[in-house]
Amino acid sequence: MFDLLATALVNIAQFKYLVPLFCGTLAGVIGGALPGVTITMTIIVVLPFTFGLDPLQGLATMTGVYVGGSAGGLVTAVLLGLPGTPSAIATTFDGYPMAKKGEPGRAIWLGVWASFFGGLLGGAFLILATGPLARIALEFGPWEFFSLFIFALSMVAGLVEGSLAKGLVAGALGLIVTILGNDPVMGQKRLTLGIPALEGGIDFLPVLIGVFAFAQTMTEVERMGGGRKALAAVETGVKLTVSHLKVIWEIVSRPVLLLWCSFIGVLIGVLPAIGGSAASMFAYDQAKKISRRPQLFGSGVPEGIIASESSNNANVGGSLVTIMAFGIPGDAVTAVMLGALTIHGIQSGPLFIQQNAQLAYGIFAAYLLAHVLMVIILGLLARVMLRIVSVPKAALFPVVLVLCVIGAYALNNTMSNVYILLAFGVLGYAMVKFGFPLAPFILGVILGDQIEINMIRAVMTDPDPWLFLTRPISGGLLIASVLSVAFAVWQHRRQQKKGVKPVEDDADF
Amino acid sequence: MSRDAIAGLVVFAASVVLFALTLDLKDSPLVPVGPGFYPRIVLGLTALLSLGLVVGEFLGRRRRPPDAGLRDVEAPVAPAARPNYLLVALSFGVFGLYCAALPALGFRIATFAYVFGSSVLLSRPRSAKGWAGALVLALATSFLTWLIFERELSVLLPRGRWTDF
Repeated sequence: MFDLLATALVNIAQFKYLVPLFCGTLAGVIGGALPGVTITMTIIVVLPFTFGLDPLQGLATMTGVYVGGSAGGLVTAVLLGLPGTPSAIATTFDGYPMAKKGEPGRAIWLGVWASFFGGLLGGAFLILATGPLARIALEFGPWEFFSLFIFALSMVAGLVEGSLAKGLVAGALGLIVTILGNDPVMGQKRLTLGIPALEGGIDFLPVLIGVFAFAQTMTEVERMGGGRKALAAVETGVKLTVSHLKVIWEIVSRPVLLLWCSFIGVLIGVLPAIGGSAASMFAYDQAKKISRRPQLFGSGVPEGIIASESSNNANVGGSLVTIMAFGIPGDAVTAVMLGALTIHGIQSGPLFIQQNAQLAYGIFAAYLLAHVLMVIILGLLARVMLRIVSVPKAALFPVVLVLCVIGAYALNNTMSNVYILLAFGVLGYAMVKFGFPLAPFILGVILGDQIEINMIRAVMTDPDPWLFLTRPISGGLLIASVLSVAFAVWQHRRQQKKGVKPVEDDADF
Repeated sequence: MSRDAIAGLVVFAASVVLFALTLDLKDSPLVPVGPGFYPRIVLGLTALLSLGLVVGEFLGRRRRPPDAGLRDVEAPVAPAARPNYLLVALSFGVFGLYCAALPALGFRIATFAYVFGSSVLLSRPRSAKGWAGALVLALATSFLTWLIFERELSVLLPRGRWTDF
């Protein structure tokens, strides 16, 4: 394993891979720093650029975006009090007060180095756990895969903020998208609604691009011209120089905090579609609970920044594990990566690491190197980021949507994907306005075909439906699905009794 | 009727209609379950869930104390900017026109027109410099995306039926 990793590190350090990785990390850092532009949006914009690259170049670019974006949000969170991405919200709590106290450099670098260490710990988990988990998944039959996908879907629907019923309906709507067009087993036409574009079924990538890109841009557009304060007067002369050894010591001298928060990040990353914002908020809360001075949280303590940023970057490692071992995207960003794999004709899932070892280890190496590049980029450009955030959205959004059109069109050079992009853009925006979560919908779209294929395979192998329950792993996963929904019902009721309103703004798109 | 109830009813109606359409699907002799088997499960489940959403909403309303809504209305609310739905509708409209124009005008011309129109719509320039900026942005986006994708990355972009450009 370590031989393969060393070879991959040497390979990825070549100019032909290093340039896309650097560009991806830079794009991620910039996208992460821009308030109103999330990592998902950045990776959607970057996606079409990877079509002409070889698979490893493309995936290295995307890994760079993911790593860079997870850390990029901290710059504006610390210096402006405006989180660039939802996953940097918790960084604002202590980062901004620390910067206001006259220590902006310390706050920024605590965040950068915590991201770096958290990311590396997440990377260790990624490298060590992916292989064994994939080997376990190789033992799965269609019953287990069916139950695993149902479990993923039920958990996502249950864990979303807001209404559980809406989470479940959103997941079911996602499944409906996959039944339109054709039957994945026999290829028979069904439910085409007389629309020729639906005859081949609906590709999940234009759906994903449309839903996320429009949900986000149009939510921002509706706030335009409404008297919102522009980021006009941005202080760019702020001094960010610090003693790096001192900052690193501040982090590593709190090993329990670093390890625990990174563990939380990894764990939440492994759970499908929950995202970095949940990881950083949960880690922040945990850091407060284990601290000997919890009353100081929110006033600019280093623990708050370390907790948020380490968990947020460790989350990336966890998300990559689920996609590489099981073929289930951990979040929207890995869903786009899954799409990129499909475009290059690579099948994700348990066989991925075995059949594409060079590519898999290339992703590990890209992940590790992206952290080094992220530190270098933030070291050189942190101040410039403050200028970049003042780019007018009126100029940014049309360009973003043009890149989305290219991404959809280039999938198979037909306009039908562009029309699908538009249709699902409208649906995505409507879902946001009606308070339906997007994560279960997208997971439903991605897993729908696999759920059907595995269910039919299971029935074709043995028509006894009880096997779904009597096979231990399959039964266990189905019971876990029921329990996760029951837990969500209990949690929502408890929140209702307490009168706690779910947070629906700043969704982690 | 609340937003949730309306959404629930729309989803319920759509799933019932689609469910009815699955009844026309013929079973295949090669597999034990036909192409309509799984869609019926999904659509039946969706109909049940959406109905649950509607019922839950009505029950929730009945359980709520009668003055709860009033209190919500009377509570001091921080002034927030009203969502600019007209701008959203126009933005969708302009994007729809762009999608329609792409096969006819081709990528370069349609993109130039879209980026110019959309950026002007989102933030109307107030000076000649602003108009020039919007023009430069549209030209640069159209030319650079074409150059990078079609020339450098060999990604084909739509060619215009009318313009052959």
